[in-house]
Amino acid sequence: MVGKDLDRSVAEGNDIVIDICDLRKSYRLGDIEVPILHGIDLCVKKGEFVAIMGPSGSGKSTLMNMIGCLDRPTSGKVVLMGKDTLAISDNELAELRGFEIGFVFQSFNLIPRLSAYENVLLPTYSNSRKGHNSPQRAKDLLKLVGLDDRMDHRPTELSGGQRQRVAIARSLINEPSLILADEPTGNLDSKTSEEILGIFSELHRNGCTIVMITHDPEMEKYVDRVVHIKDGYIKNN
Amino acid sequence: MLSLKQSLGISLGSIGSSKLRSALTTLGIVIGVAAVIANVTLGASFNQYFTDEIGAVGSNFIVIYSQNTNIFYDNQLDLIRNTPGVAGASPINQQMARVTYLSTSRQIDIQGVNEDYDEVANIRMESGEFLTDNDRYVAVLGAEVANEKFDKKISVKNPIEITFRREDGGVVTQKFIVKGVIQDPNTTFAQTGVEPEIRIFIPIETMNEILGIDYYGGFFIKAESLELVGTTGDEIDRRLARSLGVPNRDLENDDAKPYVLFDQLEILEQTGQLSAALTALLTSVALISLIVGSIGIMNIMLVTVAERTREIGLMKALGFTKKDILTLFIIESMIVGLIGGILGVTLGVAAALLVNSYLELPNIFPAGQIAIGFVMAVGVGLVAGVYPANKAARMDPVEALRKE
Repeated sequence: MVGKDLDRSVAEGNDIVIDICDLRKSYRLGDIEVPILHGIDLCVKKGEFVAIMGPSGSGKSTLMNMIGCLDRPTSGKVVLMGKDTLAISDNELAELRGFEIGFVFQSFNLIPRLSAYENVLLPTYSNSRKGHNSPQRAKDLLKLVGLDDRMDHRPTELSGGQRQRVAIARSLINEPSLILADEPTGNLDSKTSEEILGIFSELHRNGCTIVMITHDPEMEKYVDRVVHIKDGYIKNN
Repeated sequence: MLSLKQSLGISLGSIGSSKLRSALTTLGIVIGVAAVIANVTLGASFNQYFTDEIGAVGSNFIVIYSQNTNIFYDNQLDLIRNTPGVAGASPINQQMARVTYLSTSRQIDIQGVNEDYDEVANIRMESGEFLTDNDRYVAVLGAEVANEKFDKKISVKNPIEITFRREDGGVVTQKFIVKGVIQDPNTTFAQTGVEPEIRIFIPIETMNEILGIDYYGGFFIKAESLELVGTTGDEIDRRLARSLGVPNRDLENDDAKPYVLFDQLEILEQTGQLSAALTALLTSVALISLIVGSIGIMNIMLVTVAERTREIGLMKALGFTKKDILTLFIIESMIVGLIGGILGVTLGVAAALLVNSYLELPNIFPAGQIAIGFVMAVGVGLVAGVYPANKAARMDPVEALRKE
């Protein structure tokens, strides 16, 4: 559908955040080539909240890593905000990750020795937007996720839900065009999950583009669109 | 780009947060550096010890003696004194004589010398003073003679009696007042045959008068510098041989001369060989400890970085460039390396001091070599820290994130 045939000049406009075209990925296991993704086409528009669902091993995390430029496709194209991620340099890629993508991981991936506030601020050490008052923004974001009284706590002093809130605040620090969340509630109980999903929902209402991997069928009520992946194919295209 | 302040903040935070790991890393460097510094310092101390040994024996000296009587006179002394490169010369006569102090008598080597001998033989006084040319019946004793030979210690101003055998067969006993006692130079390796500690020195004028002779048995000469010892010795040899009527064709033939000349170079060669062997040994030990230390440092840094691969992956995911990550690790390695290096130098020097005081070696601190050892060990720490960090920073973030 959209990815393959869309006129590029339109795709490079502001409306298309993710444009994936015939994306393939395979891993080598010894001499055997194990294909994970068999030609994925996916397009996400600005402001969309997309859930990617599928059983374990279906390739959804691999797809997510490709979108986030954490991994390289075997073939195909990943265009983010009009930039072909396979054609740009490592430094441009780092900049793209720093400014345009906010990651939220299943296992939070906070740095244990840094406080909540420092964790949120960490991405700005490398990339910070001109005109941003990053320290103030970090505080505001922690307030937004309801942790204004936990700023100086280390991750080990926080509950799972609180840690994920810190991670969400961190993902927002540079006002990214896209938030990628890889099973953000996978390690949380259902009540906390609900709270976290509430935050994402709120972000979406405020215009954020979000792509989230999830197992949870409940999610369908929050998102605009669900993409089902099975065995490396998108099933409901 | 990371600012220096931010990098320092993150690096210091990282060091401070994992105290055990940082302590182990630092310990690895400390041990490596300390081993190198201790060895290098000990090597330098041993070298100095040998140099001192040789110096204590007498600096830059040339000795001439003859079995023949009446070939050396004041003429030869003047001739030697006027040879270029000679800083001082003392004539010597020698006789084993019976020395009596209180109720004990001992056979002791008596040497008649002039006041230059003091400087020529590098004499250091334990008490009192050395002879001057105006002295008559005074004696200067070696430390061993004064302190050990007799039942009672002999001190300055004590009288001793020396019984000489004259050339004509007569026996003369003369009373001498002790003017000074010579320090034991404590030489273990450099034996010259002219050790002052077992000898008694009296003015040569007095000795010749008592013995009824006017010739000298030999000369003790000091060259202006160690470098000049060889050429000055050769020149003296040539002049003496000529003045004693040795034919020109025999000038190169030592057997044709009625005297024997030897200089410190021979002793230097022996001790030099010993010292070189020891230096080689210590250098190889230092090299081995540098290698062992480096491997230790490298090991702990590799573990440290491997442990943090996941963190490196996260940083990349958050937009850190390879350069940013390397900067962080370089700064961290440098801080750990510097702390470890400084502690290591301190420990190494302290260890060397301890060994020095135990072995009674002089304390020498070869700043240059210490600096080289320090820089090398810290450099190894840096390379060992940066190499794996570089490897991790090159990985695709997903790969690094997957590491546990």
